[in-house]
Amino acid sequence: MTAAGALGVLLAVSAGMAQAQSPETLDWLRKIHEATQKLSYRGTFVYQQGSRTETSRITRFADARGNIERLEVLDGEPREIVRTRDTVKCYLPDSRVVKVDQRSADRSFPALLPERITALARHYAFSLGETRRIAGFDCQAVVLTPKDDLRYGYKLYADIASGMPLKAVTFDSDGETVEQFTFTQLSIGKVTPEMVKPRHSARAWRVHDAEVAPARLAGWGLTAELPGFHKVIELKRRIGESKPVGQVVYSDGLAAVSVFIEPLEGRGGAVRTGLASMGAIHVYTREVANHMVTVVGETPAASVQRIANAVEYRRPQ
Amino acid sequence: MKAKISALMDGELDERAARQAIDALSREDEAVEAWRTYHLISDTMRDSGLLSDGFAARLGARLAGEPTVLAPTRQAGEPRSWHLLPAAASVAAVALVGWLAFAPQQEGGQTSPPPLAQAPAADPRPVVIPLSSAANDYLLAHQGFSPRISIQGMAPYVRTVSDEQREAGR
Repeated sequence: MTAAGALGVLLAVSAGMAQAQSPETLDWLRKIHEATQKLSYRGTFVYQQGSRTETSRITRFADARGNIERLEVLDGEPREIVRTRDTVKCYLPDSRVVKVDQRSADRSFPALLPERITALARHYAFSLGETRRIAGFDCQAVVLTPKDDLRYGYKLYADIASGMPLKAVTFDSDGETVEQFTFTQLSIGKVTPEMVKPRHSARAWRVHDAEVAPARLAGWGLTAELPGFHKVIELKRRIGESKPVGQVVYSDGLAAVSVFIEPLEGRGGAVRTGLASMGAIHVYTREVANHMVTVVGETPAASVQRIANAVEYRRPQ
Repeated sequence: MKAKISALMDGELDERAARQAIDALSREDEAVEAWRTYHLISDTMRDSGLLSDGFAARLGARLAGEPTVLAPTRQAGEPRSWHLLPAAASVAAVALVGWLAFAPQQEGGQTSPPPLAQAPAADPRPVVIPLSSAANDYLLAHQGFSPRISIQGMAPYVRTVSDEQREAGR
């Protein structure tokens, strides 16, 4: 089949799948995607999970050359995270530590790109919900309901005028809220480059550089992938001040699960195996072939556990 | 025909010739015999594990016992697989035959169903542990790959462990 022919089939199939979703809903997803890519904004939002609430300020400066984002956690221990095109830096003034993580072009996986929506539609149903006023903005709810219980659902409330999401709710298979982000105040535009500069110069602070580098983790893999989740990247990095750790990321296009693999030798203390949870995030730790395997994902605990239990090591031939 | 089968195994036939050879495999006992023999030779040379006696017959019987799926669901919808569609039938045939020949020997001569047919076994309930102080570093390392960043910007980065939570977990 020629390339044009293959494209024809692809288009026909995507059109067929897209028809199952209303064009209006797809337009909304596109609008949200564009808004989050193009807008400059500054606002305060609340993160809620169980009994925990935490207020943060987010500032995003976008221009033709790219964008810079700055996040300041306003409650509890001060933390500041600044994300530029190349790096993510996390400033911890109390311990005078700055954590540096490199980003590369292939590190962003925009979920709502039109061509990815077809793939997403296999695992999520899209629909429009109610309209509601949030922080002074009239918003339209867009709901992404999972088609199985391997992933969470999402409800996004987007500003009708700009498409900017004012609220994002993660819900489980019973429809119960797992966590939510809600803007209490937001202003769109009017952001200057000064507003996204880190507060701290971090001179004389300790630097924890993740030293991220692409890698192939020979011998490591999954005995079975979780339906819909595909490997998106494989790399080596440091975690805190540890020895190099392997990281493999699996994603269904909306949720992601990371598998971290690190040698047990040289580690102080025993590994605590089991499941830890925080809101939509679950962390499952186990030992495989003399390595500690830590699986971190924003999926239901059972999915994280299934991926963790599928991790295996086969001596490369 | 034997030469054709050998060439088919080595991937040296063009599409038409390959199709004819595969046709022959489905009709002629002699061709099937050649296919088996050549694979046995190649397995022996490569020192791969051999199948137990009667494996093909047992697998054939099991396949015959499988319900016919009238509308198979396609798992793969990624663009890269679409150009393979016209060849899918022949590829499937080769894949099946190839799998028959190369499947590793099962212990005790028992065959196990292919992974897709396996019902996902419920994992046992996990031991619940508190988030460790190292969890922040893992979360930070993971967050950057979350596609949600493209919907919500950096907001999900707030999901790091607060001191309070760690205290509570101790």
